[in-house]
Amino acid sequence: MLATIQDLRIDVRVTRRIRLRIVDTASLTIQKGQLLGLIGESGSGKTMLCRALVGTLNRRGAYIESGSIDFEGIDLVKAKKKDWRNIRGHKIGYIPQSALAGPNPVMRIGAQLAEAINQSGKKPSDEVRRRALELLELVQIRRPEVVLKQYPYELSGGMKQRVMIACAIAQNPKLIVADEPTTGLDVTVQAEIMELLRSIRKEFDTSIILVSHDLQLINSVCDDIVVMHAGATIEKVPSSKVTAALHPYTHALYDSRIDLVEPRGKLRTIKGQPPSVGKWPTGCRFADRCDFVKDVCRTTDPTPFAQVNENQWSACIRHKEIYGGAK
Amino acid sequence: MIKRIRDYAALPGGFGIIVGVSMFLSITVIGFARPIFIPYAPDELVGDGLAAPSWQHPFGLDQLGRDMLSRVLAAVPADIGVAFLGVSIPLFIGTLIGILLAFAKNKVFLSLVGSIIDGINAFPLLIIAIAMVTFLGPGLFNVVIILALMNWARYARIARTRAQIVLRENYVEAARLMGYPRRKIIFKHVTPNVSSETLAYALSDFILVIVIISGLSFLGLGARPPAAEWGSMIADGRVFLGEAWWITVFPGLALCWSAISISLIVEGLSRRDRAS
Amino acid sequence: MSKHLIEAKNLSVTFNSYGYIVPAVKEVDFYLDKTEVVGVVGESGSGKSTFARVLAGLQFPTSGEVTFKGENIFKGGAAYPGELRKAVQMVFQDPYSSLNPRMRVINAVTEAVMHHQHASKKDATEIAHNLLQRMGISSTDARKYPSALSGGQRQRASVARALSAQPEVLLADEPTSAIDQSAQSQLLELFAELIASGLSVVLVSHDLGVIRYLCDRVYVMESGIFVESGATQDIFHKPANPYTQKLIASIPK
Repeated sequence: MLATIQDLRIDVRVTRRIRLRIVDTASLTIQKGQLLGLIGESGSGKTMLCRALVGTLNRRGAYIESGSIDFEGIDLVKAKKKDWRNIRGHKIGYIPQSALAGPNPVMRIGAQLAEAINQSGKKPSDEVRRRALELLELVQIRRPEVVLKQYPYELSGGMKQRVMIACAIAQNPKLIVADEPTTGLDVTVQAEIMELLRSIRKEFDTSIILVSHDLQLINSVCDDIVVMHAGATIEKVPSSKVTAALHPYTHALYDSRIDLVEPRGKLRTIKGQPPSVGKWPTGCRFADRCDFVKDVCRTTDPTPFAQVNENQWSACIRHKEIYGGAK
Repeated sequence: MIKRIRDYAALPGGFGIIVGVSMFLSITVIGFARPIFIPYAPDELVGDGLAAPSWQHPFGLDQLGRDMLSRVLAAVPADIGVAFLGVSIPLFIGTLIGILLAFAKNKVFLSLVGSIIDGINAFPLLIIAIAMVTFLGPGLFNVVIILALMNWARYARIARTRAQIVLRENYVEAARLMGYPRRKIIFKHVTPNVSSETLAYALSDFILVIVIISGLSFLGLGARPPAAEWGSMIADGRVFLGEAWWITVFPGLALCWSAISISLIVEGLSRRDRAS
Repeated sequence: MSKHLIEAKNLSVTFNSYGYIVPAVKEVDFYLDKTEVVGVVGESGSGKSTFARVLAGLQFPTSGEVTFKGENIFKGGAAYPGELRKAVQMVFQDPYSSLNPRMRVINAVTEAVMHHQHASKKDATEIAHNLLQRMGISSTDARKYPSALSGGQRQRASVARALSAQPEVLLADEPTSAIDQSAQSQLLELFAELIASGLSVVLVSHDLGVIRYLCDRVYVMESGIFVESGATQDIFHKPANPYTQKLIASIPK
């Protein structure tokens, strides 16, 4: 097991006196070379979970309240700033959402890459250049020598994202956290970038956590899927078995896929909205939106979840009744 | 009522806004209401010059024997009142011109007015004011004229940039799609969204303008004696700083009080902005 | 005389700024018939938004013509002159700039109703409330400012505003791209309902799923030209043009 997150709770300091719990609780495991998908609606806490893995919670005034994150034996919860300097970039890489962050607009691509390459110690410039070209080729950028000298504004969205991927893999990290890397990009570019991630995983045995709100994408690309809802991880299921998922929310997500509906037919929407952060009810937070809800759902705390088999678990306390156990 | 104030104070920035508004209102209201409860007139000679603060005269007497408290408060209409005019008039003119510019298509008009705006903005307002005083002569009234004539340019630039952005926003395009007459689009859709930004600037500008007014008066270019005005009082009191510090210090404190109160409001508003 | 509701012939739009000449739309032909739902699918930079804006009358073409019920929409220099203006309305991509942030939602829609249906303020307000309710926005929410509503709600409010003109054609430029999944589904269902009650729609999007769900016919746009067009089923199952094939192949399975 490369990394294990166990019962993580994350709070955020809104004002000096008000704290909001935004993740409660999250657990997941990822193995070497695994492509794990993390799916959830906005507000589900998936981005905060990523930040916890990359050590950037502080910047938003968030902090881990309880729980553990074990990465190759290192305790990421207790890691200090100087520990993170050795982990971030080196052991755990990060690819941001394409629309939000990207290469530094006032730095040439070459300089940006050099920063990533020199993270493990300043290297002679010809070696840096060689490695930069190598990285650009790895991310399938044509004419890398030209791109090295360009500024981000001269590149398309897809190319900028490839550059971010190149920066992320510069130190050969064991784990890459990709937070919605293709959201906002064209579908053909998305397909290429997914191919790229898959080839990186294959060639370097890197584990990748791919975060998205698009179940279709995650289903087609990832080995396994972890589903988050209202700050909690509520299911883990292999992609191939997603139709046999054991949580009503996962099924609802799957059923709401637009490509499964006939033209202008009735769309299967998940009724209601996830409860807002800070207003989570006791018991199962999906209760008000669930087709199978019973009173017991609202009074019983759904975590810790039930391990169904070694590769699948569900936080639905009634999954045996509803779905008759795992197939 | 108290509860509502406390709730507001708990919001991000709320506390600063409440303190700032209280400070500003207190000095403004007391200043304008001075004739009601301060027994001495600002230019009345009530005793020996340079008398120290006492129960009768909490701020002491100035070099001519006038009550300092009365004078400091009497300066409020001058400093704060004139500052208000010196901000609101340019705000109005500048916002209007800026929005007009965003709509204008005539290249000659655009570059002409644009150059005038850039030209005025190139100079610090205080320098321009000093220069203009040589043309118009000193006096608070002239200061208002100068400010109105010159300060609008800063507002115009902000308004124009903002209006250009607003004009591209979808809701303005939707208004065009609806077929609304141009006048309605300008006044109902563009102007409110532009003035929010110029109003914000006006608040900060207020502080600058108070300082300019006092500064000009300090140099002898603004308020003329015997008018009560903080800057000129500070200038008068300079010579006596050793023996009668109260002649300089109290007007100075009043200036600080006004400036800080507005700063607190501005800071509170920007905190509120950032939080959302 | 065109027999189509909207027709574009040989339409070109070329932008010229400071000497840089950018041909956004190159000599395209297009038509929309009554009660049809036509999609324009393309990736970023394809020119589809520019094309949509020409159809809406927000952008003047460099050459070519666009007709509505046979009449040139740019006749006399203004787009959709007079009463014609109501007939074609548009919904935009960005929910955050679609509504005047300084106007309560109900007022924005009431204003539109008053203008188009010549109703009194009182009547218009009631009509506006009903319209917004049909779009799934409660009276309470309608009285709020746009910043208090979600992206999905704002989009639906924009649709309400567009509908207050009682248009015959609704142009939608990437209406679902900036809102979250569940809001998308709600908006799409709303569109399906409107289509069922007779509205003709031109949907511009890069989202193939949305196009497949709503459209009868599709135009595929790349770099300013329509590389292929046809019935939705044909485009999705038997794409003829290599670019179309590439697009269809990129859909995650």
